[in-house]
Amino acid sequence: MNSHGTGEKPAASVKILARDVNVHYGDKQALNDVCVDVDDNAVTAFIGPSGCGKSTFLRCLNRMNDSIESCRVEGRIELDGESIHDRSLDPVQLRARVGMVFQKPNPFPKSVYDNVAYGPRIHGLVSSNQELDELVEASLRGAALWDETRDRLREPGTGLSGGQQQRLCIARAIATSPEVLLMDEPCSSLDPIATSQIEELIHNLREKYCVVIVTHSMQQAARVSQKTAFFHLGWLVEFNDTNEIFTNPRDERTESYITGRIG
Amino acid sequence: MIEKEHIHSAFDRDLHNLQSSVMRMGGLVEASIINTSRALADNDEELARKIVDDDQLIDGLESEVNLAALELLALRQPIAQDLRFVFAVLKIATNLERIGDYSKNMAKRTTVLLKTPPPNGAVASIRRLSHSVQVLLKDSLDSFAERDAEKAREIIVRDRDIDLMYNSLFREFLTYMMEDPRSITPAMHLHFMAKNLERAGDHITSVSEQVIFQVTGEMPKDDRLVEDTTSYEAVSMGAVN
Repeated sequence: MNSHGTGEKPAASVKILARDVNVHYGDKQALNDVCVDVDDNAVTAFIGPSGCGKSTFLRCLNRMNDSIESCRVEGRIELDGESIHDRSLDPVQLRARVGMVFQKPNPFPKSVYDNVAYGPRIHGLVSSNQELDELVEASLRGAALWDETRDRLREPGTGLSGGQQQRLCIARAIATSPEVLLMDEPCSSLDPIATSQIEELIHNLREKYCVVIVTHSMQQAARVSQKTAFFHLGWLVEFNDTNEIFTNPRDERTESYITGRIG
Repeated sequence: MIEKEHIHSAFDRDLHNLQSSVMRMGGLVEASIINTSRALADNDEELARKIVDDDQLIDGLESEVNLAALELLALRQPIAQDLRFVFAVLKIATNLERIGDYSKNMAKRTTVLLKTPPPNGAVASIRRLSHSVQVLLKDSLDSFAERDAEKAREIIVRDRDIDLMYNSLFREFLTYMMEDPRSITPAMHLHFMAKNLERAGDHITSVSEQVIFQVTGEMPKDDRLVEDTTSYEAVSMGAVN
């Protein structure tokens, strides 16, 4: 408990604000009027059945959908109060600020070191080899992978175990000092031990980052997130504190989904 | 209330079995209260002893419920309404077990009353209170089975009547004792029986609170009037006359 102050919870600052987001793939509408405030220094989980639009929405947050020809995104998405669709904003710069980790670990076919050094090199974030060494070490430490790879930095990243590869991808994502980390089912191809390690990492990452995670595991959302959003058939059905969602959801559709009933 | 089935049908079966065990337990407790009242009215020592023995069945069912609930938590990881259900079941089972204990205690006192007959009319007063408690218990079990939060709320209100009945019995028994010191032993036993029934009412209220929580997700605020005022009662010989 806070011994000074009013004892009230400080209002979390909103990192990402989305208003009336509609997404179409060709004629098919994938998302309808999604409005969300994503808190900074918190983990927000998106849950929902396959095809509900949660990954589509995640990919809107760093304009990953731009590369899909038929995809049309409407509505307002702001990062720190600035529209991410602003003409003056370079999507490459945006993706440096909003990093992404995918379902399957996808290290580059390079050494452990070069995987992490790749982003800082292309974005020109370091001016000397020593600085780069320090950044690689800090990123690997940040991804809880340093102790396991400090003697294997020159070995190929693809030679690591699945869980290590995923942490390598997280190290690669945080090497560019992003503000937001998007994770699309980061543990779905990992065993329970590696999953626990990633979850512990996610829990710690929120001290420095705004983390958004898409997951099919209800228990995972419950374990790692502070806020949970439930998507269904392209609609954001319910968005609330995670403990509320899992003890007393307000919407019948949320209740049916999370308790494993036929929707 | 959602009556949709789980995709895992075995999950529904587990939840259903848990509910059945609690209802069976409730049925035994209800029977125990009815039988105690009957044993008291008929001076039936054999029945009173059977009630004492049968309390083991209630205790056994409580253990069964606890174990089944624990397994369900471990194996199925229930959440939302399912989690609230398991939580409620655990608390309701504890409450029912306690009510069973109160009834057993009353049965034991009944065997003493066979040797020291109570004043006329006193037994009838206890039986009226016992009947009210038994009906309250039955209704609270119904509210659990039907997942009816409204019915559960009514029960909490009705428990006030039990408190009021206990208050007047308390005074009635005091009067007997003051009028005739020979009635102290039976009147004291009857008073403890009345107190047991009043406490049973409080546990029934707790059952109803669990039903409300299970159904609505909100714990009812504890703003009910507690009508049992005997804790503050001071009696002098002059006061009653």
